[in-house]
Amino acid sequence: MSERSVELPGIGTKFELETENGDKVAIVFMNSGRNQIYIIEKGRDNPAAAELNAKEARRLGSILSGAIIEAEREAVEIAFSALSDLRIRVHTYVIPKKLAGRSIADLRIRTESGATIVAVSRKNVNVISPDPSHVFQEGDIVVAIGESDQLKAFETRILGP
Amino acid sequence: MDEIVVALLCCLVLALAARRLSLPPVPFYIIAGVIAGNYGLTALRTGGIAEYFSHLGLIFLLFYSGLEFRPQRFLSRGSSFVTSGVLDLAVNLAIGFFGALALGFSPFQAFVVGAAFLDTSSAIAVASLIENRKLASRESETIVWLLIFEDLVMVFLIFFVSTDVGNPFFLLAKIAAVVLLIFVAVRLLSRQIAAVVQRDDDLPALFTVTAVLAAIAVAAALGIPEAVPVIVLGSALSRTNPAAFERIVTPFKDVFLVVFFFFFGTTINLLGEISIVLILAVSLLAIAAKAIGGLAIGRALHHSTAAGIEIGANTVAHGEFAIALAAIYGSGLVSSTVAAMVIITSILGVFTARYSASLAALIRPRP
Repeated sequence: MSERSVELPGIGTKFELETENGDKVAIVFMNSGRNQIYIIEKGRDNPAAAELNAKEARRLGSILSGAIIEAEREAVEIAFSALSDLRIRVHTYVIPKKLAGRSIADLRIRTESGATIVAVSRKNVNVISPDPSHVFQEGDIVVAIGESDQLKAFETRILGP
Repeated sequence: MDEIVVALLCCLVLALAARRLSLPPVPFYIIAGVIAGNYGLTALRTGGIAEYFSHLGLIFLLFYSGLEFRPQRFLSRGSSFVTSGVLDLAVNLAIGFFGALALGFSPFQAFVVGAAFLDTSSAIAVASLIENRKLASRESETIVWLLIFEDLVMVFLIFFVSTDVGNPFFLLAKIAAVVLLIFVAVRLLSRQIAAVVQRDDDLPALFTVTAVLAAIAVAAALGIPEAVPVIVLGSALSRTNPAAFERIVTPFKDVFLVVFFFFFGTTINLLGEISIVLILAVSLLAIAAKAIGGLAIGRALHHSTAAGIEIGANTVAHGEFAIALAAIYGSGLVSSTVAAMVIITSILGVFTARYSASLAALIRPRP
């Protein structure tokens, strides 16, 4: 695997990666915030290209770094290269009506399931690291982290059937 | 005052239309100016605000180019930067100069034509490379750095051609003093400047515009060419935070340059000294020069004719500096002819860049 980076004045920066196989991937980070990806198959001349905006690039980046995307409700699994046994799952959930009016402490989320609520979003207002006394409303989106069985427990015991 | 509003409104509409058609807007600004000026659609006078804004357009363009003059970047490119630049310079200057001489221009005017031939429109070339998704290739790197080399040459040309009046030694002494003063001042204040430029409020823009206008004022007071302190200021400030200054100055440069192109158009007298044959000849020479230069660079740097065709095809469009040079130093005839050449090649250049692969196939059919 060999790598090079080139400044393209007036455009941005290009990173090229040649794989062991002989394929080449080039990524151009443009000053405008958009990105282009080129893939040149080994032995061919003409690259295929795709253009991504910043959000799409981040998404692609997190997929390439090993995160898994689930079909229903968004989830991401984070693995750190230095701590390969550590796999944290991050999952979003919508608070149903039956939990409305109750707080994190009241529901004993950490005790009952092992998962931790790290953020609550209500009508585009985000609260990160919410207090245990934070009261939920129906429709709040929460971000929960934990191992898969902890999140499963959260889904079955707290959110309910 | 009304003329400028009419001009800007016109240009706004044209810019939108041109973008729709994926064409560069600059040729249309000039054409609009030509039509407005010549056929007396409105009795557009130059002078006053229009002239001042046009002037500022050139000034900000020079400042912006000064910002690009950062020797450290070129070192990392190595000899390929110089090789491609010199080939480009030699081929275009030679074909332009001798071609213009042959067509009957005086030596100085022929030199202006040759210099104009050199200037590829960075805006069009870069936009084409991005749109046509050509950035993976090594040729695209060569092209992009070649544009920087050309800008530097243009800046040097303007710098030196504008300093050949009056008592040379006294003038050079004054220029040297100003250059030194600017570099030292920026160096001493570099931390404060860096802090100002990072701010979110009006200070960065205010600082930059004031500095540029002050540079013009100093030039006027000392009797040295304006290009000198403006370019030097750009180059000195590029050592602090070039990206931020580019970001700050771009809106001013863009708007004032539009005014410049439009009112430059109004100075072109279609019914006066214009020869279609001359325009076509010059345009063909300009295209040939870029094609040959591109081929030379492609073979020298990439050892490939295909790369050469690609480089040529992407550099056919000529740009603002060509017009600026012709406007400042050219006679009426040179000015109009070069403007027409720029209009023709910049539109053609969009298509040669887009269809360069087909062009390559035409020129060297592959089995």
